[in-house]
Amino acid sequence: MSAATETVKSAPGSDELSRAQSGMDVEQGTSLWTDAWIRLKRNRMALAGGIFLVSLTLMALVTPWIAPYTYEGQDLQLGASAPSAAHWLGTDTLGRDLLTRIMYGSRISLMVGFLATAVALLIGVLYGTISGFLGGRADMLMMRIVDTLYALPFIIFVILLMVIFGRNLLLLFMAIGAVEWPTMARIVRGQVLNLRRQEFVEAAIAMGLSNRKIILRHLIPNVLGPIIVYTTLTIPSVMLLEAFLSFLGLGVQPPMSSWGLLISAGAESMEEYPWLLIFPGLVLSLTLFSLNFLGDGLRDALDPKASKD
Amino acid sequence: MLKFIIKRFAAAIPVLLVVTTLTFFLVRIAPGGPFDTEKAVSAEVMQALKRRYNLDQPVYVQYFDYMKNAIQGDLGPSFKYPGRTVTEMVKTGLPVTFELGVYAMIWALLIGVTAGVVASLRPNTAQDYVPMTMSMIGICLPSVLLGPLLVLVFGLWFEWLPVSGWDSWQHKILPSLTLGSGYAAYIARLSRGGMLEILSQDFIRTARAKGLSNTAVVFKHAMRGGLGPVISFIGPAIAGLLSGSFVTETVFQIQGIGRFYVQAAFNRDYTMILGTTVLFSVMIVFFNLLSDIMAVWANPRLKFETSKGAR
Repeated sequence: MSAATETVKSAPGSDELSRAQSGMDVEQGTSLWTDAWIRLKRNRMALAGGIFLVSLTLMALVTPWIAPYTYEGQDLQLGASAPSAAHWLGTDTLGRDLLTRIMYGSRISLMVGFLATAVALLIGVLYGTISGFLGGRADMLMMRIVDTLYALPFIIFVILLMVIFGRNLLLLFMAIGAVEWPTMARIVRGQVLNLRRQEFVEAAIAMGLSNRKIILRHLIPNVLGPIIVYTTLTIPSVMLLEAFLSFLGLGVQPPMSSWGLLISAGAESMEEYPWLLIFPGLVLSLTLFSLNFLGDGLRDALDPKASKD
Repeated sequence: MLKFIIKRFAAAIPVLLVVTTLTFFLVRIAPGGPFDTEKAVSAEVMQALKRRYNLDQPVYVQYFDYMKNAIQGDLGPSFKYPGRTVTEMVKTGLPVTFELGVYAMIWALLIGVTAGVVASLRPNTAQDYVPMTMSMIGICLPSVLLGPLLVLVFGLWFEWLPVSGWDSWQHKILPSLTLGSGYAAYIARLSRGGMLEILSQDFIRTARAKGLSNTAVVFKHAMRGGLGPVISFIGPAIAGLLSGSFVTETVFQIQGIGRFYVQAAFNRDYTMILGTTVLFSVMIVFFNLLSDIMAVWANPRLKFETSKGAR
């Protein structure tokens, strides 16, 4: 994920940012966030991405109440039809309303994106913090494990898990999350390793605070910036993975719909009905676009140095 | 240098061992045996089948037998296609996947490096924004979408190129573009970043002050160092291309390893799944190793840092 770090260097105002960061300590924590928010607001693309994502999420949440049709409702007499007044985005080969299918699909796709990322986040942050905090041998061992995990063919493992334990949605979250956490762990560990040597942590240790409290109260809040940035960049890769799996028929199963599944179905009949491919594809691409722009924008705004790690 | 290589090789062995062992036992605990058919099979037939596939032994014996054979390149018989061995199928699929990966890499390097270098020459102008926006589109247009779109436009609407198969050179254009585009986008960003860093250094200013032409500065001086990140990305990228061609091979119906793997996943052809997983791991580990060695060879200081493999 280090590809986007270059943009930080050329971004205007990155020097004032580093000033803001060097002044960052416990009391001034809020000023960094206000600062970051001001900078984020200046980045039009990131803001547009954020607005798109928020509206998409809201729409996905209320879909059962606002969807024009039911998602499995078929109109076999109609069959596939081009976009019209009754069906804004047309219908698929079984006469199901495409707009409705996409709306319901976004529920699944976004849910996979968010939940799988949450799994990755939870494991990665805890693992990284513990590893960085303990240091020494434990750290070395824990990072060696992460290195080993990096060398595994992950997509293959996700497919393997899906084959063995059946294609259920919950497992899909877990499998994808389990695949995405090592990078997060690495980033967090790098940050914690730096924080560990700072006075306020040493003070906390000297005061006799338990490790658990130090980690939860002092360390994790201070690495929140990089965590937020990396989370925004993990969601698109997770959603991509879901689309991959569903496209291959190994992810979400019909009659449920997800964007990957809709694209896969659209690709089958694209010669006669190209809109069945183009509309779901457009939604997926726009979402990935927004997430990437928002992630890059947040990175510029929060300038996590560890993201290079 | 030799010591470094040996050390890295030694570190790779446990990784492969873990993958193989994990996969072996995962596959063993999977529900639904390979011989589950609608028809009831008599006990003797089942017994014979099990003996044929070495399943009548205790699990640990099976495991050691499998490992022994795997090291010698024998990945066992296919459960689904009687009479064919996994090694045989791999032998037919691997060259195709490899060829596809190499072409995709060539596309990715051609497009990516050009776009990145062009963008880095005038940062924050249109010359920067246009290729970088293109690269963002490349990242956000996943192969599940790009593949079908290319087929639709160039194969079905214009009818310029064939839409499936792997025979003539025309067949190879669309699949390798599909597979390579994401990597091209990433390489564009890497080379832009690397070039920007180099172009701001003193020796570049000196070169310009000497009166060297812009071409000489860019091609002779800046690119050598500026493309460092790209070079160290090639190894992981090849590993990724080889083990990431499922979608491309499925869209274009190419009989490569990726397609075999997906089919094996559907057919629950466990020996095939096991064999291909092991193969993929070996390839990933090998190419990561290769790129580590290349990176250290180019920059010996790296020897003391831990590597950051890609998946």
